[in-house]
Amino acid sequence: MRSALVGAVLGIALIFLLLTLLIILGKAQRELREGWRRRRRRVLEPLVLKYAHGASVSILSALGGGINARDRGVVEAILLDHVSRVRGIEHERLCRALDELGFVDRFLEALTGARWWHRAEAAENLGLSGAKRATAKLAAALSDDIPEVRLRAAKALGLVGGRAAVLPLVNALTEPNRWSTIRIADILTSMGHEVVRELMDATPKLNPHARLAALDILGRVHALESVPWLLSRLTDPERDIRARAAHALGAIGVVDAAPELRRALSDPEWPVRAMAAKALGRLHDAEAIPALCAALRDREWWVRVNAAEALRRAGPMGVEALEGMLADADLYAKHQACLMLEDAGVLDRRVAQLAASGAVRAAADAVVTRFIQAGQVSRLREIQATHPEAAVREALARLLAGALLQEAG
Amino acid sequence: MGVAKRILVAEDDPVTRRFVVSLLEERGYEVLVAEDGEHALATAKSARPDLIVSDLVMPYRDGYEVLRAIRNDDRIKDTPVLILSMRDHEEDIVRGLEEGADDYVVKPFNAREFVLRVRKLLEPRTA
Repeated sequence: MRSALVGAVLGIALIFLLLTLLIILGKAQRELREGWRRRRRRVLEPLVLKYAHGASVSILSALGGGINARDRGVVEAILLDHVSRVRGIEHERLCRALDELGFVDRFLEALTGARWWHRAEAAENLGLSGAKRATAKLAAALSDDIPEVRLRAAKALGLVGGRAAVLPLVNALTEPNRWSTIRIADILTSMGHEVVRELMDATPKLNPHARLAALDILGRVHALESVPWLLSRLTDPERDIRARAAHALGAIGVVDAAPELRRALSDPEWPVRAMAAKALGRLHDAEAIPALCAALRDREWWVRVNAAEALRRAGPMGVEALEGMLADADLYAKHQACLMLEDAGVLDRRVAQLAASGAVRAAADAVVTRFIQAGQVSRLREIQATHPEAAVREALARLLAGALLQEAG
Repeated sequence: MGVAKRILVAEDDPVTRRFVVSLLEERGYEVLVAEDGEHALATAKSARPDLIVSDLVMPYRDGYEVLRAIRNDDRIKDTPVLILSMRDHEEDIVRGLEEGADDYVVKPFNAREFVLRVRKLLEPRTA
């Protein structure tokens, strides 16, 4: 019994010893391999960079006519590391080297491999390689069962670029359950102007969700060529399409769109009116001031807020219009004008002018009095308590007291 | 052949650092390297480079701090500084230039454009 117990303990100890030895040997092997890779990298990297800077026609000749099987992994790592950090001719040469050395073929093969992490890595590497010939296979990888593979394939298509890469990504917008629309929209946006034509052509065939995303992307890439098409979307039967088209036109910032956007301020649907007001603000459209003042009386809060912001952005004439709205009969319009003038620092500037004389003082008196009459006195009381100029504090105190007396009377 | 211009490359990412160094050495410049902001500042003071290429995000002292310290040091305050950063937001670029950078290049960068900017900054300045 005792000897069996001793045997068992010794057996377990032996197993632990063997496992420990295996771990140590494994780690030593990894360290040796890494050390070797670092040494080879120090030798090979300058040659690869010399090729990238344009010293030789072919990467193979830069590497002395060929590379052995053990060095291939090191050269692949060097090329992938550098290709993501540069643009222009150096980038093209590094991409060409990845293809010339057969790495792109290897990535393409791995993209249909059995292990998902190999497929994901291959998709990412194909994107870095910028291999146009990988487009079809990357598009097919968008249907992979594993989300990580799909996402890396989508990013890779964005990096590879070209019209053939755009369409599969646009189609991905139609599957919000399978894809994050935000991610796909970001990828398409990063591709810039090459997505514009495809997006406009594809939009009629897209589902409503994807159509809205497409309009946003056009705005984000500042697609000037899409302006006439976006203007025609302002009369779309769908209110959300009209609203997003207005938003995109504002983001692009084309002044020619202003007349249509001014008309959109009278749209029967409030999201369209709100987005049209916001867009006009981005265009700094002085001609829209009367329409924006009318929009300050809108029954919807969001329209009023955007209209007030647009007036502020329209410059001195817009600010003057906002001050004029302080005397408006509509309480909501008056309130919104007060908030915007306070936020924009106009109230503070007017209060400071209470110490002036003549027309400046009279104008400041009128604006401050309207604020008091509108009941917006909290900021005024704050200034009255803290303003460094005694003349301003006294003038403001008189106006506030006068208003109180009027209320009491 | 005159004396090679001396450029300090302050960059914590080793891959980018090696790329930039090889690019500049290929063009005949003498290149010094620093892996963090502290080291960059010390090298700038001791070696007096003709140009400093600096990343913004670095250990110990970021690029802005290095830039401020350079501009506040009478011995090296006139050294041109080129920021090489991944930060591509307008505010970052404006802040970099406001802090005293002479140029700003966003990563990933176009190597030829970068070299041209370097050459421009190394040209003798006219008063």
